[in-house]
Amino acid sequence: MPGLWTMVAKDLRQRIRDKSVFIFSLIVPLALMGVLSLVFGGLGEDTVDLQPATVVASADDADQLGAALLGAVDSLEIMDVTIKRVPAADVRHETQASGADLGIIIPEGFSNAVLSGQAASVQLVEGDNASLESGVLISVVQGVVDQFAAGTVTAAAGGLSGLPRQDLAALARHAAAGPSLLTLTEGQAAAEQLSLRGTLVAGQAGLFLMFTVGFGVLGLLAEREQGTLARLRSMPVTGAAVITAKACTGFILGVVATTVLLTAGSQLFGVSFGSPLVVAALILSVVTAATSLTFVVARLVRTAEQANVAQSILAVVLGIAGGAFFPVQGTGFAATLLDLNPIGAFNRGLGISAGGGNVGDVTGPVAVMLAFAAAGLLLARILPDRGAQA
Amino acid sequence: MLVEVVQTQTRDVLDVSGLVRRYGELTAVDGVSFHIRSGETYGLLGPNGAGKTTIISMVAGLIPAHGGTVRVAGRAMTPSKTEAKRIIGLVPQELAIYPDLTARENLKFFGRLQGLRGRELTRRTNEVLELIGLNDRAGDLTKKYSGGMKRRLNIGIGLLHRPTLLILDEPTVGVDPQSRNAILESVERLSVEGMAVLYTTHYMEEAERLCDRIAIIDEGRVQAEGTRDELITLTGGVDRINLRGGGSMSRAAEALRGLPAVQHVDNDGAGLILTVSDGPTALAGIVTGAGHAGMSVTSVEIVRPDLESVFLHLTGKALRD
Repeated sequence: MPGLWTMVAKDLRQRIRDKSVFIFSLIVPLALMGVLSLVFGGLGEDTVDLQPATVVASADDADQLGAALLGAVDSLEIMDVTIKRVPAADVRHETQASGADLGIIIPEGFSNAVLSGQAASVQLVEGDNASLESGVLISVVQGVVDQFAAGTVTAAAGGLSGLPRQDLAALARHAAAGPSLLTLTEGQAAAEQLSLRGTLVAGQAGLFLMFTVGFGVLGLLAEREQGTLARLRSMPVTGAAVITAKACTGFILGVVATTVLLTAGSQLFGVSFGSPLVVAALILSVVTAATSLTFVVARLVRTAEQANVAQSILAVVLGIAGGAFFPVQGTGFAATLLDLNPIGAFNRGLGISAGGGNVGDVTGPVAVMLAFAAAGLLLARILPDRGAQA
Repeated sequence: MLVEVVQTQTRDVLDVSGLVRRYGELTAVDGVSFHIRSGETYGLLGPNGAGKTTIISMVAGLIPAHGGTVRVAGRAMTPSKTEAKRIIGLVPQELAIYPDLTARENLKFFGRLQGLRGRELTRRTNEVLELIGLNDRAGDLTKKYSGGMKRRLNIGIGLLHRPTLLILDEPTVGVDPQSRNAILESVERLSVEGMAVLYTTHYMEEAERLCDRIAIIDEGRVQAEGTRDELITLTGGVDRINLRGGGSMSRAAEALRGLPAVQHVDNDGAGLILTVSDGPTALAGIVTGAGHAGMSVTSVEIVRPDLESVFLHLTGKALRD
């Protein structure tokens, strides 16, 4: 296409010279990332520091299982626990008065009850200031009691089978102290979910991409208003070359700005998006989708001012739905709509990439973005050019 | 016969035939035909809304015609014909320059689109900057220019690639008198150098000064076409003489009607308005005859026919309505 790169070079020179592209594509999104990171800084962290906790407990010193239960609480590695022993009648009052996190009342004859298959009840008194630490302690007690319950059930079953009493106790002790046969193993999956900071960085990059690509195709409207479009059309270049040049300008600006934003964001906010190759594929796809949308806007509006308003609305809607400010999830039809949002697909792709996914793993999000681009271009072909009719 | 046709085609830089353009129910251009030869300045004269810019837009290949043809140096011109566009230079009515580029950058950008490269581009850019008097300000952003400077650059861009046909659409609208004169001088110089010029205006004086031939356009049609003198003969070639004064004007009117050069006499109460076949020659006899009839003449004015008169004669309305 004769003249194509001459027009692209001129457009890029204009955009760089008027500095608006730097403001909208780099400075504002980076500043917003910083602000949002400060606002939501405490959320989404991978680790939480638990505070030291105090437990008020009553238990018979000679009761083996009761001592084992308190021992399990006392020996927690994830938090420091101080156990204060008081009589059973004082546990509730002392828990309240001392501001302890939890009170535990282990009944007399607890071990015998468990080992003989009889019912026994461990009472818990939650502190007035229910905290994350209280919840953790309750979970630990529940876990130990569940394990003891296995001994109770075993002893009860042995009794029904007619086993001697001494054998029942041994069986119950073995069941209560034995290892779990069913275990949960925690692992890391290549989830389609970035960390909160990662979502903010990727979302802001996606949101402002919508503004950045607008500097390309929507420049046609500015050319029309300043009269230069008529002169361009009197030159020996085709109309297709003029439009393609604008699209190339928007595309180049979009790719550069998104790459810089993701790179700077990952460095500044300690976020990793995974393989550069995968990230590059995602950037190219989302910029293609965003550029196609500018063709639709350019057909629907009559002036550059209208174009800016329309582009801003689309950017904010798609950006928010894509997680520019906070992760957004939906169900049913809403979920389908969210899935078709190119910014959302971009974030999902980055989530897969950050979880260790390769190019093959992101074909879904890439397909969504490219399908969006194809639909946008098709729509732009079908829609009448309201600007030309003005 | 075939030889004659070929000769006509090579001589005409622009050949417009039966051009039609509609906007919904409105026919903005209705069967317009004209041709321009090399070195000729051809004017489209008409009021605002007459269809001049629409004609220009079709000639420059900005919009398609709904009927008729445009041929530039023998090549068909339509919006998709890039080859034909290489030999025209368009100066749109509205300023068509980039405000955040310098004059030199504007010229080089459009020059590249016209196919100029390297030294030739630099040489032509410098020549045009010299021609339009912007050498000293060539490195300034054009948004800092005055209106006249922008107008000159607007024209310079159209000249950059030495087009065979230069199309100027009302280039002096909103221009100060000094810049306007500079523009008109430039057009005269280009015509002398052999460039064909298509010039639209609603200023009668510009058409009279610049144009070898003129088409009077109104309501999308060519009402008349020819040289200035040819057009003026359409009015009958008569002059108007206004006699102002006092005394017996009715007796004077009666006496003057008997003179051979006088075709018509009107008495408007403040004086006499005469239509005469050759005003300057007949003037002495008219003043003498009026005096003898008892009219005391205090002022005399001869009004020669002009394009304004022609337009009034052809359309029944003033050119600037």
